[in-house]
Amino acid sequence: MPTSLIVLAVIVVVLVFMYNSLVSKKNQVENIFAGVDAVLKKRYDLIPNLVASVSKYMEHEKSLLEQVTKLRAEANKPNVSEHQKIELDAKVTSALGSIMIAVENYPELKANENVIHLQRSLSEIEEQIAAARRAYNQAVTDYNNAIEMIPTNIMASAMRYTRKEVFEIPESQRQNVDVKELFK
Amino acid sequence: MKSVSELTDFYYKTLYPKLQTLEKERAQVRFRVLLSSAFIALLALFIFGMLLKNDVVSFDAVVFLSFVSFGIISFVAKLLLQDYTKAFKQEIIKPLIHAIDPQLNYLENNHLEQRKFEASTLFGTPDRLSGNDHISGNIEGVPIEFSDIHAEKKHKDSKGRTSWSTLFRGLYIITEFPKTFHGTTVVLPDTAQKTFGDLLGGWFQSKNIARGELVKMDDPAFEKEFVVYASDQIEARYILSHTLMEKILQLKNKSGHNVYLSFKENRLYIAIYYGKDLFEPTLFSSLLDYKVAMEYIKTLSMTLGLVEELKLNQKLWSKR
Repeated sequence: MPTSLIVLAVIVVVLVFMYNSLVSKKNQVENIFAGVDAVLKKRYDLIPNLVASVSKYMEHEKSLLEQVTKLRAEANKPNVSEHQKIELDAKVTSALGSIMIAVENYPELKANENVIHLQRSLSEIEEQIAAARRAYNQAVTDYNNAIEMIPTNIMASAMRYTRKEVFEIPESQRQNVDVKELFK
Repeated sequence: MKSVSELTDFYYKTLYPKLQTLEKERAQVRFRVLLSSAFIALLALFIFGMLLKNDVVSFDAVVFLSFVSFGIISFVAKLLLQDYTKAFKQEIIKPLIHAIDPQLNYLENNHLEQRKFEASTLFGTPDRLSGNDHISGNIEGVPIEFSDIHAEKKHKDSKGRTSWSTLFRGLYIITEFPKTFHGTTVVLPDTAQKTFGDLLGGWFQSKNIARGELVKMDDPAFEKEFVVYASDQIEARYILSHTLMEKILQLKNKSGHNVYLSFKENRLYIAIYYGKDLFEPTLFSSLLDYKVAMEYIKTLSMTLGLVEELKLNQKLWSKR
């Protein structure tokens, strides 16, 4: 019965193709997450230096500084899951943002060479993190699409693949700065 | 940098006496070109008549005859146009460039080296490269150079006949990109997605292995017009911020032609496919024609304005 054999062969090929594409999508997510992790770590490495330079002046923001230090310690623990890392990143981003705004209230800090350098380095890393987040979100979207769309969803549920979470991109980073709007 | 309207003023006021002289020259050159073309065409007709009389006329002969006379006409026209073109470039294009920035260098007969053309990896290796109007210098401390480029590839068919096909023809620009990166990112006009639709086109795009990984961008308007390939997914998005994507889209709309970009070794290569030689004098329409003037002015101001437009002058802290 050659026809049934051909049909069987085609089914096997399709299954293998589906399996491989799912695996490669999962690996792509992991691969890019490693890149995200690397830039996040770069930012965590700046935190002790930042806290040390500003804590002398920032009396009122002590709790903010303590919070950032705590978050950093948590992120550096072993066995932190992807999900936790994403949550920590959001918290660190907002805490660092508040510190940077608070710096504006201290003229000595604003003029401090070291603080200026840290600020610039942070904003540079922030841009790299934004790029990494966007890359990760795209990979996750591709992966999530594959595990929810017919026909790969059947294969995915058999492989016990589950949806992954994307980074929330802060609204402020999503929009382009419109200078005209600023001066209205 | 001077605005388009300031440059238009400069063109019609400061350059006006020179334009008038050139207009006279243009009328003379046009007369000579038309006269010699008519003469050559008549000669060809005469030879054709002779062949007809002697009954040796064939299709091949007609093709050959028209081919040769066309060749002679364009050769003669080029010779006749030589002085006029040179005067136009020295007296109109050069002052126009210097009105934008007096520090810029302009060499009318030079073009970018082949090595620099190939470095972008946008169009592969051409077998013949020609061009002119080489402009180079610094705009706000950022080096920029560009020229007209015509890159061609040689083909040989089974009968051993050679033919040439165009890889690229238009404006080719090299400048510096302010961010640090290590791989290659290319931005190409999206032809597959436009022709075959999202699903099938997307599949074709992902199979273009020679270009590197396909990078899907998160700007729908940009993604519709362009396709991005890169060696590193994160780096491509680091280079192509939302602002830059918007500016690239604007550049495409402003030029009205296909735009190709390549980010490699801290350089930014931009190729705008005009499909013709730019900054050439007109023969059959007046140099004082507003449309003609605007083409020179707008192209120059757009190209030299790229540094400001794409914010290439905003160096990162770590690169200062």
